[in-house]
Formats: sequence, C-alpha cells, structure tokens
Amino acid sequence: MSETTKLSIRGLTKRFDGSDTLHGLDFDVYDGEFLSILGPSGCGKTTTLRILIGLLAPDEGTVSLDGMDITRARPDERHMGIVFQDYALFENMTVLGNVEYALRFNAELKSRRREVATAVLDQLGLSEHLDKKIHQLSGGQQQRVSIARTLALNPDIILFDEPMSALDVETRLSLRGELKRIQREFGTTMIYITHDQEEAFALSDRVMVMGEGRIHQLATPEEIIANPADKYVSDFVVENLRIKMDSLARFMEA
Amino acid sequence: MGGGKARLTVTRIVLALFFLFAAILPLLGLFANLANPGAQAVFGTEQFITACINSVAVALTSTVIAVGLAIAMAWVLCRTNIRGKAAIGVLMTLPMLIPSLAHGMGLVFLFGSNGIITNLFFLDGSIYGFWGIVMGSVLYSFPSAFLIVYDVLKYEDALPYEAADILGIPKTHQFLSITLPYLRKPLISAVFATFTLVVTDYGVPLMVGGKCTTLPVLMYQEVIGLMNFDTGVAIGFVLLIPAVVAFLVDMLNADKGKLSFVSRGFAIAKNRVRDALGYLMSLGMSLFILLPLCSFAIVSFVTKYPIDLSFTFANVGRSFNMNAGDYWVNSLLIALAVSVIGTLLAYFAGYITARIKGRSAKILHLVAITTLAIPGIVLGLSYVLFFKGTFIYGTFAILILANLVHFFASPYLMAYNSLGKVNENLEAVGSTMGISRASILKDVLIPQTSETIVEMFSYFFVNCMVTISAVAFLATTLDMPLALLITDLDAQRLTECTAFVSLMILGTNVVLKLIMAGIKRAIRSRQECAVR
Repeated sequence: MSETTKLSIRGLTKRFDGSDTLHGLDFDVYDGEFLSILGPSGCGKTTTLRILIGLLAPDEGTVSLDGMDITRARPDERHMGIVFQDYALFENMTVLGNVEYALRFNAELKSRRREVATAVLDQLGLSEHLDKKIHQLSGGQQQRVSIARTLALNPDIILFDEPMSALDVETRLSLRGELKRIQREFGTTMIYITHDQEEAFALSDRVMVMGEGRIHQLATPEEIIANPADKYVSDFVVENLRIKMDSLARFMEA
Repeated sequence: MGGGKARLTVTRIVLALFFLFAAILPLLGLFANLANPGAQAVFGTEQFITACINSVAVALTSTVIAVGLAIAMAWVLCRTNIRGKAAIGVLMTLPMLIPSLAHGMGLVFLFGSNGIITNLFFLDGSIYGFWGIVMGSVLYSFPSAFLIVYDVLKYEDALPYEAADILGIPKTHQFLSITLPYLRKPLISAVFATFTLVVTDYGVPLMVGGKCTTLPVLMYQEVIGLMNFDTGVAIGFVLLIPAVVAFLVDMLNADKGKLSFVSRGFAIAKNRVRDALGYLMSLGMSLFILLPLCSFAIVSFVTKYPIDLSFTFANVGRSFNMNAGDYWVNSLLIALAVSVIGTLLAYFAGYITARIKGRSAKILHLVAITTLAIPGIVLGLSYVLFFKGTFIYGTFAILILANLVHFFASPYLMAYNSLGKVNENLEAVGSTMGISRASILKDVLIPQTSETIVEMFSYFFVNCMVTISAVAFLATTLDMPLALLITDLDAQRLTECTAFVSLMILGTNVVLKLIMAGIKRAIRSRQECAVR
C-alpha cells in the first residue's frame, strides 16, 4: 500500500430532517488501501458512501479523485463501483448475462464483453454457474456475482455497503478471504461500510470510526486498540471487541 | 440522459392533463350542479328516501352473504384436502366475466315467473324484489370478495396453528382467535369493496328489482328516461359517499409494513367429514355460479323460452339483425383501445411512483388511487355535464376516456406493487455503470414485471367488455358497447337474444383469458429456458 492520496474529502456536510446528517467530514483515502467506515446505524456512513459515488449531492464540501474535483460529477464518470447489501442483481438475466450487460455500456470493453465477463467470473469461482439464473444461487454466490459485475468494469475504487449483512457466518468468513485476495490481485482501493467491529478490524488497513455524523478516529486497527481517540471509540469499538475476545477466551482456557 | 429526462417530463404532463380533464374537472362540474334548486329538492322526496333505504338494506345484506361465502370458499380451498382446487378457484371468478345486467337476467331465467326452476319445483316466481337483488348482487360481487380473502389466506403461516395444537386449543377456537384476526385487514377491504360494488350497481336491480327501486336505478331512470339531470346529480352525490368512505377506510387500513414471505405451508391433516363438507360447499357455489351461465347457453338456442324449448339457431340471426355484431365490434374496439392506452398510462404512472419517487410522485399516487372511489355511474353523469357540446361528445373517444378513468386504479396498483418489489438499488447500480434509467426499464424492469403487464391488460379488457355504468349515459346508438344492448333487447322482450348477447360477452372474455394465460405461460417458459 502506497501513501499516495486517491480520494480526498474536505468539509463534507449534509443536512437531513432526521438522522444520517454529516457535520463537515475531512479525510483522505490512500491508493490501494482497504478502508472501513465503522459505525452504528444512523451514524452517517451510508450517506457518506452515497455522496462519494455521486448518488447524493452534499450541501457543502468537496470530493476529489486524484486531485480532480468530482463533487458534481455523474456516478458513471467517477471510475467507482458499488456493491450493495441486497446485491442489486438483474434477476431476469443469467450470471454471465449480469456481467455482460453492464459491460455493454462501456465503450472500451463492449467488444470484448464475453471474454472479460467469463474471466472475472472465473476468478470469483463462478465458472460452473455462468448459465444459471440468479435465484438458483446461494446468497454468497449472488454477492460474488455482484462483485464480479463491479470488478469487470475495472474501477479505481470499489465501495461496499454492508455487503455481508444478509449472509451467514461461514459464508462471511470465506467471502472475507476472497475480498482480501481480490484486493491484492487487482490492487483496487476499497471502501467498506460496516457496523461489525470484528469485520472492520479483520479486513482493513485503516478503520474510520463514525458516530452521529462525525469522524471519531481514523487510524490502523492496532492504533485504535492501543490509543482510542475518545470514550465513544473505546466503548463502541475497543470494549466491544474485548467482550467478544473474553467470551471466547473462557472456552480456550478450559 | 437528457432525452430520458425530457421523456419523463412529457409522461408527467400527459398524466397530469389526463387526470385533470378526465376526472377532476368533470367531478367538480358535477358538484357545482348541486347548487341547482332542482337538485336540492330531490333529497326530501319520498321516492328518494325509499330508494336510499332499499339501497342500504340490499347492500348490507348482500355484503354479509357475499363476504361470508368468500371466507368459507377461501377456507375450503386453503385448508381442506379436496381435489381440483385450481379449477374451482378459476370457476369462482367466472361471474366477473359478464355484465351485472346478465346476472339479473340469469336469475330471471331460473327463478322468474316463467323460470326453469320455478316451473320445475312449482315455485311462485317471486324473485323480483329485495331477495332477487340480493341474490344477483351476491353473484356479482362474490368474486371480488373471494379474491381478496383467498389471496391473503393462501400465504398464512402454519406455525401459530402448530403451536395451538400443541397447547391443545380446539380448532373452532383456533379459527376465531388466529384465522379471523389474521384476516381482519383483508376482511375490512372485502366488506367495503363489496358494499360499494353493490350499492352503486344498477344492472342487477334493474333486471330483478321489480318494485324495489334502488338509488342507481332511480338515477338511471331519471337520467335516461326523463333526461332529469338534476335528480341524477343529487343521487350521484349520495352514491359518492359510500365509495369515498370505503376508499378512506381502505387507505387507513393499508398494510404499512412489508409482509414476510417466509411462511410455513400447511400440512393438512386427514379429515373425511371436513373434506366432505368442503366438496359440498364447492358444489353448492359452483352450481350457484354455473346455473345462470348455463341458462344463457340454453335460452340462447331455444325457439321461445319457456313455451317452446326446441333447438334453434334463429336467435343468433335475430341478435345480429339487432346489430349485435356491430356492437360487439364496438366493445372490442373500446376494450382494446382502453387496454393498450390504460396499460401504458398505468404502468408509467406506477413506474414514476414506485421507482422515481419524490413529491410529485406522491401526488400522482394519491390521485391515481382516488379514482377507485368514483362510481362508474357518477363518472358517466359528470362526463355528460362536462363534455356536452365538445367535439369528443358522442364519439368513441369519450367512452374510452370514461373507461380509462373508471378502471385505472386497480391496474395502476398492480404496476406500483410489482415495480416496488423489484430491487430498489438497480437504478443506483446502473448509474455507476453508465446504464440509464431507460435501459434499466427496458432491459430489467419490464422483463421482470411482464406477467403483471399481461394482468393489467386483461383487467382493463374484461372490465370494458362487461361495464354498463360509466358508459350508460355516454353511448349513442352508433358507438354503443354490446353490454348495453341487453337492456334494449330486454325492453323489446327479446329474451332469447339477451341470453345470446350475454353468452357473446362471456365467450369473448373467456377467449381473452385463455390467450392471456397462454402468453403468461410462454413468458414463464422463456424465462425458465434462460436464453441469453
């Protein structure tokens, strides 16, 4: 992981009537890193994600990609991909169809879409399922298709919106390994939203802890454990991880 | 993107103009006429008060019976082991395929002063009046109530019943304390839908009402017979009240949360007595529904009913001499035009409200479902007053427009619900990949909701074939739809021809339903094949 800044966010503000308000966020995302945004529901993490990818416009502040201001750019001009919790697949198409369809709208890859789609699906271990319909797949397989569809377009950054919330524990663990592998192989910058402390810590180069529309701490997992920035971080993150550890430790000793 | 936005704006404007000129302004015009002293004078007359009482009594009685039968039939189909459930289910909805006038005719053929059953069992033929209307209205409204209850009962979870069995709670108790509370919301919907349907219908009471006059019949006679529009306006206003109440109750009653679709199916225990009762119930309902329909088939092909029952094709020729063929073509033209335009409009309205959202979408949604509260006969009268003297008066266009508004809400809701169920993030994902809304609509949403589109088309078509209410005041001798010919033929005592016309309408709708079932099957098998 280099420390070149890929994405730079300054003074990001969004006001809503209810929750999910953002109060002037400042942070950078490095090229090729795995950054988790960790916080409880309503802390503004999904709002941040939607602004980064261009589905929502901020009230104030800027988003720059490689030094270029993209705050008002269309979602498809940002070289970013997104993976949702509910997969958002095209259920009337096959596995291969889902990936190929997305490629049809890309001028560069359009002519090679069969080749590109088959290759990326193969890398995600889906080559046996190319002609299957989406509803014939398990949840974990569906999420792989969704990741493949995003990856096929070769984005600079992939955003994940709680991608594993709907999956069982075992599938989560195997998909975690897969994500790390993909990141190593493709070198893609990944921004990962989750409310699960363990998941954030297991996956990330750095973790950004959010609460009530503010950043409480942005640091490596080691640093957060060693030096929680405030009471919120130590309660919500450190304490929580410790409880999980303790409950396991009891059995380990016995 | 720019082209897409422009198209969307055009769609919005078309929909706004449609509702403004086809619903809102005519109805406002109708209410303005209430200020006429002639209209206000109606409320105090004895004739009006009697009709009011008759209407309420008939509608209440019919509603209790129709909804009761609907619960019983739905229960039989969901909780017994009888065979042929699919066929029985389809049979239960057959009455939807004929005009309410024909329901009245069917009863006259069977139980009238010269009816088949009257003569067979030496009855006195006193079908005319209160109980005749109730019987016809139950036939006419039962399918709607049945579909509402059946659709919900089908998906009930078996788990609470298994728990109740373990706790030793008797079955009757289970029905009262689990089934009925579970059905509370659909039952409220069914009760109000049935009541509105019956209280605003003039077809059944016109045929079998005898001296028992109801509000819609009074309105029909005053407007058609005496050209007395003021009375029509006054009664129209009163008829709007139950419809509006029903609509409001339904809105408040609507399920806010999403239904969970993870429910355990029922393992139905063996029980001979229960199944025997189930067969008996199904047999009874099937006879109740099929006898009138069969009577059309018989009466259509006899020389002179009921004196000379020898077989003949003469009535077919006589019907066509009375222009039944031309009117059938009229009906087809109207039904096809409304189905095509209506499906397009309702689908795009549903697309805007379910997939784009925003403030204008909320208003559109409200206006679209409000059309459900306008009784056809009131809508028709408002059109007479609003469009009289304009270029579309007396043309096919006004009949098409009236039917579009009258039947808009249900297909709109079909589109809204079905588009709302498709993954909400599709457009967001698409936008990150450079896939426009229009492409998502064309390549993903329409293929995924194609069965709903077929259902919408079918709903518009069948209803246009059977409707008499919205078009009664608007049709001329040239553009009249076939269903309205029934009253003309009946007035000329061409009984056999009315039967044949009813049969034509039933046949047309059955053929359409078969075609639509074929299309649905083709869609399904194409999706199964997974062709890329």
